[in-house]
Amino acid sequence: MRRLGLRTRVAAAFAVGALLLSASMALVSYELTRRSLLEDRERIALRAAYFDAAVVHAGLDTDSPDVVEVLRSLDTGGNRRPVLHLNGEWYARTADPGTTTAIPAELRRIVAAGEPAVQRVRVAGQPALVVGVPLSASAAYFEVNSLRELEQTFQVLALALTTVAVLVAGSGAALGWYATRHGLRPLTAVADAAGKIAAGDFTARLTPATDPDLTRLSSSFNQMVDQLARRIERDRRFAADVSHELRSPLQTLAAAASVLARRREHQDDRTAMAAGLVAAEIDRFQRLVNDLIDLARSDQPAHRAPVDVVELAEEACHAYDLPVGVVQLAPEVPPTWHVERRRIAQVLANLLDNAVTYGAGPAAVRLCRDGGSGVIEVDDDGPGVPVEDREAIFDRFVRGRAAHTRGAGDGTGLGLALVAQHAAAHDGHATVVDRPGGGARFRVTLPGSLP
Amino acid sequence: MTAVLVIEDDDRIRLALLLALEDEGYDALGAATAEEGLRAQRHHPADYVLVDLMLPGLDGFECIRQLRRDDDVPIVVVSARDGTDDIVAALEAGADDYVVKPVAIRELTARLRALRRRARPLAAASTPDPVPAVAFGELEISPEAGEVRRAGQQVTVTRTEFRLLCELAEHAGRVLSRQQLLQRVWGYDSGDERLVDVHVGRLRQKIEPDPANPRHLVTLRGLGYKLQR
Repeated sequence: MRRLGLRTRVAAAFAVGALLLSASMALVSYELTRRSLLEDRERIALRAAYFDAAVVHAGLDTDSPDVVEVLRSLDTGGNRRPVLHLNGEWYARTADPGTTTAIPAELRRIVAAGEPAVQRVRVAGQPALVVGVPLSASAAYFEVNSLRELEQTFQVLALALTTVAVLVAGSGAALGWYATRHGLRPLTAVADAAGKIAAGDFTARLTPATDPDLTRLSSSFNQMVDQLARRIERDRRFAADVSHELRSPLQTLAAAASVLARRREHQDDRTAMAAGLVAAEIDRFQRLVNDLIDLARSDQPAHRAPVDVVELAEEACHAYDLPVGVVQLAPEVPPTWHVERRRIAQVLANLLDNAVTYGAGPAAVRLCRDGGSGVIEVDDDGPGVPVEDREAIFDRFVRGRAAHTRGAGDGTGLGLALVAQHAAAHDGHATVVDRPGGGARFRVTLPGSLP
Repeated sequence: MTAVLVIEDDDRIRLALLLALEDEGYDALGAATAEEGLRAQRHHPADYVLVDLMLPGLDGFECIRQLRRDDDVPIVVVSARDGTDDIVAALEAGADDYVVKPVAIRELTARLRALRRRARPLAAASTPDPVPAVAFGELEISPEAGEVRRAGQQVTVTRTEFRLLCELAEHAGRVLSRQQLLQRVWGYDSGDERLVDVHVGRLRQKIEPDPANPRHLVTLRGLGYKLQR
């Protein structure tokens, strides 16, 4: 599972904390309120029962009392139902059926023992409070109080408290989210600046924080970028200096070699052979220097412009004395791509050079598309590239096995590395696969080169 | 014999270039500094000047500017520097072409031959049908006379600029891509398009009433350039 982000975790912790706090507060206040309301209610019920018991007692004090009439005369309202236990008989008002069975045996025993008592019970699924008051040795008065309204009050209270708890938890989460946004703002600024620097903008800096806690972060970050920029500038200058220092003597060598080459017929065989070697190696040295300089520069993003790639591919074939017929533009692919001309010309030239050197010449140069990406494919008839070499072949100074067996050694070993770098400069990549029917297929994808 | 002046401070490079150019049939003369080169060109004008950019004293850019002030001799920069800034600055100073060291002698002489074709526009090239002067609004081009006039006033253009203008005028109203212009004017099969852009810019400075908003020599983004009325 992916780890949750810092912000999510902080917000969740805030939410859980707020929930715990508000839930316990709610629970405590619910319990306190409930207890005090019930106690109030019991006190009131008890007082009312005493009063009613006195009335009943007086009513029964006649010679032939009409028990039911006495109970009926009580002003109990809808919530209190009187029950009388007299000489082993139960009496209740006819309007209150089933109340007699609601009196719990334990309560009866306490009352029979001459003690008034209160007990909470459930009558027909409804909460009720039963109050018992002893009248005499043979008589006890009970009252069943409905607690339905109180119960409803408790429900409303519980609902209200739960809602408050949930809201508080939600506010906690929001607070956490908000607080982390502020807390993480410096990090966001760092991420933005780092992104710009990665994209090649070395002027990006963090504004020195006004917050003293963050000054260290921004100043060390800016220092790091300064150093990095200095180092890159130094490397770039070094590459420029090296190129200049190597190119100047090469110019002397190239011109001198051409003078030697012109006088080949006046030289003896050994001198001519040596002069030929010198000229060939100067040529290779020159290409090596050019490739190295290109490689040193090619990490910069491509300068794209509309380019006719078919024309470019045909020119490349022309330079290698290949028939232009090998160039194929896939149907419904426009010939004009949005790429950097110089780089793509070099990609084509290096792939063709590779196909000629190692792959017995290119069988096809295909220009096709993959969504918005232009795709260049160069097929050859060679032995193909073994799976284990397919990545290393794009590294610097790696030459195919064929080069050693043939002893050609004419390549610089940088051609495919340049292809890969030029592809990367277009946000694409270079790969090699088996060509159906034998041979290798080099493929360069160039995202964003087609509409 | 065609004379070439080589302004190059590195003694060995200069010597090797002189030897190789003489082998190719040129009358080559060397100069170690810009001042020496300018003096030589004033007294014995060469047909071409090859110039390095990094020179002691007066640098290559200033050297090109001063050479250009006096005449329209074709100037080729031969430099180890290949940064865009250097190339554009050298071309803007007035150079006709730019090659990066090390350049093969074959390639260098090919560049000079291409310049030679341009250097004698149409006066020497005995075309059977004299090409009539063409007018683009107040701009008038006489290929035969090798002259450009704006509102009756003669405009001084270099030979390369003139060839570029003639090429565009020949295809008036049609777009020529940078590659086509490179091929037709500079003789490159595939070359640096900045060469075209800088020359077009220089030409605009001379022929357009408002070079920032060209009316005649217009750019078609992604396609190339067009000369219109």
